Amino acid sequence: MREHTFDIVIVGSGAGGGAAAKELAPLCREGVRIAVLEWGPRLAEHEYTGREAEMAGKLYFESGGVFTRDRTMTLAFGRAYGGSTVVYTGTSLMIPEGPVKRWGVPGLTWEDLRRRSLKYIRENNVHLLEEERLNDNNRLFRAACEKLGFRVEQFPINVKGCRGAGMCNLGCPNAAKQGTHRVQLPAAEAHGVEVITNCKVQRIEGRGVLRAVVEERPWGLPSPWEPGEHVVRARVVIVAGGAVHSPALLLRSGFGRQLPALGRYFTAHPALILVGEHPRPITNYYGHPKSFYCDHFAERGFLLETCMYFPFVTAKNLIGFGEEHAQLMHRMDRLQMILVLALDEALPDNRVTLDRAGEPVVEYRFSEPVLEALLESMKVSARIFFAAGAERVHAPAGEKFFIERHEQDHLDELITRRRLQPGRISIASAHLMGGCRMGASPADSVTDSWGQVHGVPWLYVADSSLFPNCAEINPYVTIMAFADRVAEAVRARWREV
Amino acid sequence: MTPLNEAQWSFLHVVGRRVVPPLAELDDAGRARFRTIISTALADRPAGVQAQIRAFLTLVRLAPLLRWGKTFPQLPAERQGRFLRWLQDEAPGRLRQGFWGLKTLVFMGYYGQAELGPSFAYTPSPTGNEHLRA
Repeated sequence: MREHTFDIVIVGSGAGGGAAAKELAPLCREGVRIAVLEWGPRLAEHEYTGREAEMAGKLYFESGGVFTRDRTMTLAFGRAYGGSTVVYTGTSLMIPEGPVKRWGVPGLTWEDLRRRSLKYIRENNVHLLEEERLNDNNRLFRAACEKLGFRVEQFPINVKGCRGAGMCNLGCPNAAKQGTHRVQLPAAEAHGVEVITNCKVQRIEGRGVLRAVVEERPWGLPSPWEPGEHVVRARVVIVAGGAVHSPALLLRSGFGRQLPALGRYFTAHPALILVGEHPRPITNYYGHPKSFYCDHFAERGFLLETCMYFPFVTAKNLIGFGEEHAQLMHRMDRLQMILVLALDEALPDNRVTLDRAGEPVVEYRFSEPVLEALLESMKVSARIFFAAGAERVHAPAGEKFFIERHEQDHLDELITRRRLQPGRISIASAHLMGGCRMGASPADSVTDSWGQVHGVPWLYVADSSLFPNCAEINPYVTIMAFADRVAEAVRARWREV
Repeated sequence: MTPLNEAQWSFLHVVGRRVVPPLAELDDAGRARFRTIISTALADRPAGVQAQIRAFLTLVRLAPLLRWGKTFPQLPAERQGRFLRWLQDEAPGRLRQGFWGLKTLVFMGYYGQAELGPSFAYTPSPTGNEHLRA
């Protein structure tokens, strides 16, 4: 058993942990010792191959298919130096004022989050792609939305030197995406922050004592620490392991006894992938995959985004199997894709719990409004596909595998609630939020508005688990803004701890 | 260590051919990749999940005995497909979810093979932008 002592330890290196590390790094000049403990590996550049099965296994928990308890939804979240910022598409939206007001967290204002978000938008080279870099999959979506009168906007993205590999979700093979693995973590390390990869924090024992284990992996650079068990002591601990593993770590460490909301109010933006088939090849997997979103239906509970997934993910998201399925799959170059995100209300019974081995289990039940939103979104998406020129559409809740162009006036009969059965269709999520929600009271929240765990002055949370309710947008920039707040609080308070 | 024994792998191929018909055309290298991809994915999952997969394979093999008096491999292709469609659309929740997991494994083993990309019109490039200008 090796022992290590730091002043500040950050658990996790994604959008939250990475941003917190960079913000706190200047303290190293004053002799403050800071470490980031990251469960995942740090890949060498040549290991970003863009091969779907291989990269999913290296960069995601359970290859991106972590089941909820009843197996009706899979959760995709990263495990790497840089966390999920390595494997997301780089979309970088500022949270609108509405959701922050609805959260109603005393002391948390939209203006504050906006100011901090702008900092990361600048830092991460966020910009709009030039028109000539947009592929057909994206242009067709925009044109169809405009034709139908739906509000459509371009996503700002955080890339530098993007060559259009289209493999953002597998880790950019061109090192273009400006995740924390490219920006914040190297900056923090340059100041003296130590990043320990392949290091799983098992529990927090007592005041600032962490038990961790370093595991060897057949890929990635070796961990700076030897394989085996480690005890890490810190004056301040910042937990940033994401909306599944942060609540799980705190639950394993016994904080659930004093914090009944711990693990609860988990939200996920449950998502479906819809596919339209064009009569001829379009550019879809070349170029950046995600350029536009449509928030026209946000008040009806869903967002639409362009997307282009890889063959396996596409295959598993189509309902059905056999000849028809293979027929559609063998025309990957003709597929237009839309990602639907349902805006799900945070409910106390949707939560992270632990199994007997202490590993996290996500309990999630689809509410009726979410199912209704998913149903409606499929019909709207089908209209968009046909308006874009698709000859047929595949909807997971379709009464038949293909809805042909001449049937487009019968979408209500062809896409039905009867067919929208959780467990039958593939519902996935990559926007995991809540579980350590911010709030005023330990009765219904876990931290204060600065991310400090209620009643525990040395313990903070700095990731998407802080969200009191769903973000209603892609959450990455907001997570960084939250982490920025947490870092400010830690800078101000750590000496008193 | 492989998560399935030889008989279970063989049966997974039988089911797999109904799920992804082109699976039948894989050569030896393709079949080896199919096993490697699935083995690697299962190895990263809890032991309980691996046990459930094995149990579900047994169930799919034997359940047709109740209806048709024959095991799944003994059924003609059309009935195999009908049985799997029942699992997908009509079966009670746990069975439906089990089938979803099984077909997902087959999709992963087949469509996860980068070598097969050209056969389904998927030829990505690290310099995709060049193809936009072409």
